[in-house]
Amino acid sequence: MRPPAPAEPGAQALELRGLVKRFGATVAVAGLDLTIPAGSFYGMVGPNGAGKTTTLSMATGLLTPDAGTVLVHGIDLWRRPVEAAPLLGVLPDGLRLFDRLTGPELISYAGLLRGMDRDVLATRRDDLVEALDLRGAGSTLVADYSAGMTKKVALACALVHAPRLLVLDEPFEAVDPVSGAAIRGILQQFVAAGGTVVLSSHVMALVERVCDHVAVVAGGRVLAAGPLDEVRADRDLEERFVELLGGSAQARELTWLRPSSG
Amino acid sequence: MLGHALKQEAWRVVVLVLGALWALSMTPSVLAGMAWLGRQDASTAHDVIVLGGSLVVIGWAVIPVLLPGMDDTLDISRFATFGLRARTLVPGLLVAGLVSVPVLFTGFVTLAPAVAWGSRALRITQEQGVAAWSAGVPVVVAVIGAPVALLTCLLASRLTTTLAGRILAARRSRRIATALTVVVGVALVPVLLRIGQEGLEGSLERVPGVAAVLGWTPVGVVWAAPAVAAQGDLLGAVGRLAVGAGWVVLCVAAWGALLQRALESPPARGGQVRRRPDAVLGKGREGSHGRLAAGAVTRRALRYWSADPRYVSAMLGAVAAPLIIVLLLATVVDVPDAVALSVGVAIGGSIGWGRHNDLAFDGSAFWLHVVARAPGWSDRTGRAVGALAWSLPVTVAVTLIGVGAVGRWDLAPAAVGAGVGVLCTGLAVSAVSSVLLPYPVPQAGASPFAAQMGAVGASLAAQLLTSATTLLLCLPVLVSFGAALWWRTSMAWVTLGAGVLGGAVVLVAGIVVGGRLYDARAARLLVRLV
Repeated sequence: MRPPAPAEPGAQALELRGLVKRFGATVAVAGLDLTIPAGSFYGMVGPNGAGKTTTLSMATGLLTPDAGTVLVHGIDLWRRPVEAAPLLGVLPDGLRLFDRLTGPELISYAGLLRGMDRDVLATRRDDLVEALDLRGAGSTLVADYSAGMTKKVALACALVHAPRLLVLDEPFEAVDPVSGAAIRGILQQFVAAGGTVVLSSHVMALVERVCDHVAVVAGGRVLAAGPLDEVRADRDLEERFVELLGGSAQARELTWLRPSSG
Repeated sequence: MLGHALKQEAWRVVVLVLGALWALSMTPSVLAGMAWLGRQDASTAHDVIVLGGSLVVIGWAVIPVLLPGMDDTLDISRFATFGLRARTLVPGLLVAGLVSVPVLFTGFVTLAPAVAWGSRALRITQEQGVAAWSAGVPVVVAVIGAPVALLTCLLASRLTTTLAGRILAARRSRRIATALTVVVGVALVPVLLRIGQEGLEGSLERVPGVAAVLGWTPVGVVWAAPAVAAQGDLLGAVGRLAVGAGWVVLCVAAWGALLQRALESPPARGGQVRRRPDAVLGKGREGSHGRLAAGAVTRRALRYWSADPRYVSAMLGAVAAPLIIVLLLATVVDVPDAVALSVGVAIGGSIGWGRHNDLAFDGSAFWLHVVARAPGWSDRTGRAVGALAWSLPVTVAVTLIGVGAVGRWDLAPAAVGAGVGVLCTGLAVSAVSSVLLPYPVPQAGASPFAAQMGAVGASLAAQLLTSATTLLLCLPVLVSFGAALWWRTSMAWVTLGAGVLGGAVVLVAGIVVGGRLYDARAARLLVRLV
């Protein structure tokens, strides 16, 4: 386990300060503060509707915040987007891809949009296709990919320009165990090389296994954040999570839920 | 579902009311026309009613295909998950399709011939003392034929949209669609030539022959039945009614079969097509960030123009709709030269203006552009070049065909200049408006003919604004074109220069302005596209 990174300025990969987002009368994110140290493998957990996707969208430039700032390695993402964007690799959840391209074409497209040199791009594209096991689908349109394949090619698009910070929304959803292991391996390698990963998930076991830091988010706020061991305090992350949310571990008994009750 | 759709958008109600008002305002003129026909002899009435009726049926078959989004009837694919059989759906969908303004109006139009035959029956019983029952036969036949004709209209539109949707969705059959368009386009040229040579009077002389042929085709047979009865051939009339009903039964069967296939194999996926590994990367000199991005956007746009049913249908519509309008004009107005020379202008305008909502077709996939932060001008340039790559040759080629049809090669530079100028101006306006005023379109993989719920108001506003702006910016080149046509032929070269240079300048300006707006609004745009 990696020791907590020192708190000096510039060593923070991502700083969210007072983020607010309202959708009509609903407050999705209510003044969220979160500091993610460089070199950490950060997990964001929370129940459905906690504001994870909204937060990560604002942190990656996809959704304008109503208030607050986002600093990517000290650069204000919403003030100086052109400087901050190259540092960021983004995998959103629930957004489409240009699915009339093949997987390799989509990776090239992502690289060229970021202004990458063609020779470098071609090499990296082939490496990514190899590493994420997309070879078999290399000449198939993304429209015909399975959900897991689509996730993998989107991840490749996030990695191709070698960012310093990766922000991934539900990267393991719909991914089979073998591909999941491959993705995990790539991310761990990325962190070992000095990169930072932020991912959201609602699978506690997975976050416990791969992350060294964790933030528990609910109702658009951070309930607890820090190194994994501090947050879970010698307990199971799932128990701690339920405790933080104030729900009882014992669900209301559904007395009618029996095969005999018809 | 219709009731629910009505609730969603007040604009929809406005459109419905406007449509109803238009239909009401048309009613007296249709009735007056029919009363006039009642005073003519039976063969004239036959020709006019058969020709007009056939046009109504053909309109029902063609217009929903050419104007995507007009077909707001229930989309079959919504039912694909319920595991219903097509046989149970066919009657329901048909009845649901009956409740709309165009249908009610068409229903009235199909009944209108009964008025003509009725007034004729009154006249001949009074003047010639023919027995009322024998004079009334055509009226009865017309009333029986009306629902058959209405059903023919409805089924024709369902058949063509379902077929077109399937053809465009299956990737392999795109080539067939393209080939068909070329064939139809080539076939239209001699027609245009003919009309140009013979003029309006010459064309009118052919009406009886055309009507006689149409009277036996599925589109005209029911309309012909009362006329045949009026001429005394009762057996022929009954025969035609039976043939018409037979066509309806056949159409129902064909539509049912299509629906059954759509339910069993949803059209969203065609066969897997093997492609060259990477057509996006491209070759050539390394350039700045913007140049690389613009090239990638262009190559991606070109793929979409050939591989996405929504783009293919937009392309077909943008080329075919003006061709048909020009052809119709050529038959009515007696200025065949000017009309033939304006074909290129019409196509350039419809293609260029048709891109005014370009960005919306990306849908949420646009996020890749947002996170990459490529300069806005590169995105705008890439899309404009991707459209120009095919539309510039098409516009010039169609213009030259039009020029050739009337043999006015001295005016060729004017026609080409006007066409190119209007095309570039349309694309320039689109470069700005697709950033400023995006409105919802069918998502990738959905039927290109599905209307978007809640989009009518926004799309109306955007379409009005963009068409007005395009027209305004095109005025100089259009005035110059008009001058070349009607004032001095020497203006032709001025028009060429004005069109090409002016178009280029306006396009660059559009890209610069659109690019600035894009840079400022990219993230906010994404929210509107999701």
